Amino acid sequence: MTKQRFLAKRRPAWKRFEALVRGTPRSAKDVREYSRLLRELSNDLAIIRSRDWGQGLVSYLNDLVARGHNGFYQRVPADWGRLGLFLTTGFPRLFRANAAYFAVAAALFFVPLAVTWSAVQSDPTLAMRIIPSEQLEMFDEMYRSRGDCPEGEDCPLEKAGDEEESLAGFGEERTAAAGFYVQHNVGIALQCFARGLLLGGGTIYTLLFNGIVIGGVSGYVLSLGHSEKFLSFVVSHGSFELTAIAIAGGAGLMLGDALVHPGSRTRIEALRVRGLEAVQIAGGAAAMLVIAALIEAFWSPAPIPATVKYVVGASLWLTVAAYLIGAGRKA
Amino acid sequence: MAPLSLDLAIETPENVVLTHQLAGPAWRCAAYLVDFALRWIAMIVALVVLLVLAAATSLMGLALGSLLLLMFLLEWGYFIGFEYFLQGRTPGKYVCGLRTIHENGQPLSWWGATLRNLLRAADTLPLLLIYGDQLGGIALLPVYGPALVCMVLSPKLQRLGDLAARTVVVHERRTFLPRDPVIYEKIQPLLAGDINSFVPRSDTLALIDQYLGRRSVLTYRRGHDLALDLAVALAERLDYQGDLDAVKNYPMAFLARVYVTFAAIRDVESKGSPGMAIPGSQRRRKAATP
Repeated sequence: MTKQRFLAKRRPAWKRFEALVRGTPRSAKDVREYSRLLRELSNDLAIIRSRDWGQGLVSYLNDLVARGHNGFYQRVPADWGRLGLFLTTGFPRLFRANAAYFAVAAALFFVPLAVTWSAVQSDPTLAMRIIPSEQLEMFDEMYRSRGDCPEGEDCPLEKAGDEEESLAGFGEERTAAAGFYVQHNVGIALQCFARGLLLGGGTIYTLLFNGIVIGGVSGYVLSLGHSEKFLSFVVSHGSFELTAIAIAGGAGLMLGDALVHPGSRTRIEALRVRGLEAVQIAGGAAAMLVIAALIEAFWSPAPIPATVKYVVGASLWLTVAAYLIGAGRKA
Repeated sequence: MAPLSLDLAIETPENVVLTHQLAGPAWRCAAYLVDFALRWIAMIVALVVLLVLAAATSLMGLALGSLLLLMFLLEWGYFIGFEYFLQGRTPGKYVCGLRTIHENGQPLSWWGATLRNLLRAADTLPLLLIYGDQLGGIALLPVYGPALVCMVLSPKLQRLGDLAARTVVVHERRTFLPRDPVIYEKIQPLLAGDINSFVPRSDTLALIDQYLGRRSVLTYRRGHDLALDLAVALAERLDYQGDLDAVKNYPMAFLARVYVTFAAIRDVESKGSPGMAIPGSQRRRKAATP
């Protein structure tokens, strides 16, 4: 068969496949035809390659078959149902499977937080060494009267109660705060995860830095004597927020550890295998931080008695723990 | 493929090798700049719209909140969202004709898109601090240091995020079925008595075919000039007894006659076993011209 006769004979099939690839096959008949044509065109491509019938023809068929291949071997598309399944089972299971990384990240975050907290509370002048004095003045100001969250670099937690505020203006201002918390906190957590790729260095730095600053600010505010105002504010959203930061840090450490201790795999292969798990854990942490942002913006500063907030806060901590430990277990 | 090739070869379950042309740092940087500009434009437009709305409705908090949310989405969600929902293409990649796919040729998965774009935060380091005292602000410009080094070192031109997510960025070729510009039926084959028993290699014939197919990109004179060397060499090798002046004056016409004479023979040889056809094999001597 000459090239010309071959082309004349096969061209209708190619045109038909082009149309099939461009649209989405709907009927079962379409799918059958798609499958048959994909195999036929693969064969045509092999014939044309082996007979040196021209680069133009080869690249035309190559790209057509490649597009068809992509359409044919597609993964199941993501949808809301799968997102729900991920949050209720996939994420907590992955979290538990890699709990050791979370434990290390939590230590890197909560130990410096606790140490600076107690140190600064017993000696408030130490706060000067951690936090710029302008920001400290801002906190003084904020807790003396009502105020808004400072647009400072790393004080995602601190937010004064707004008891005096009228409820009408409340929701409005809270929306702005919610936007800020999502943008700032989720951003920090995702960065904390991604920079774990630098052999874990970026993650460790972010965890230590945030632990020290948050601890320093907390200790400082408490030393000013605003303990009830402050604690009742942070207790609710802290459950989701602090845990999620440590979880994202754990995911970042997974990336770094894959490069440092690849085990029996090559370093890149180890990064690929654990990276796929780590990114899902980080995704779950991001979802938790969005919840935290909503609590922080709309619940934590609400003019509600501190006792109620403590009760709700405690139950939220229990919820987070129960979710991470229990969700997605086989009955 | 040649060792220096920028093609990514993927063998499909149908036992055929598909190739994708890998995109290098230059094209990817161009696509990134387009996306960068688009994100800023979106941000500024949103800022203006929301300020106007806020002034009109006095919902300042709502406007600020949505603006911050949009900032977050543009920073972290832009690449993930576009690459996932547009099958591996952000607007910048679309403009530059690029597409992100998995190394095995499959379309970008959700976690693949998420991983490769979250790890952007590591690829962009170090951030270049630009202090604008007059503007009263600080800008952080991504340098993409690790990304560049990694791309140059990896055989598939992958940055760190690509390595982890098993993805590559490829050029999207939009090729069309080449038309058949040469009407071979009207061309006289060479007479059997004018030539010896030599049969040109099949890749020589393919070269002639492609050259004639693309002759319209050259001027008439230049087309003949470029064809001259091959035509003369073939005429000598074939010991052509016909009009040698015609070969020199119209080498393209001679090449077309050579092609018509031998293409059918080559086809007959490889018929039925396309995989076994060995280019350039000269198993059979010339048969009679059709």
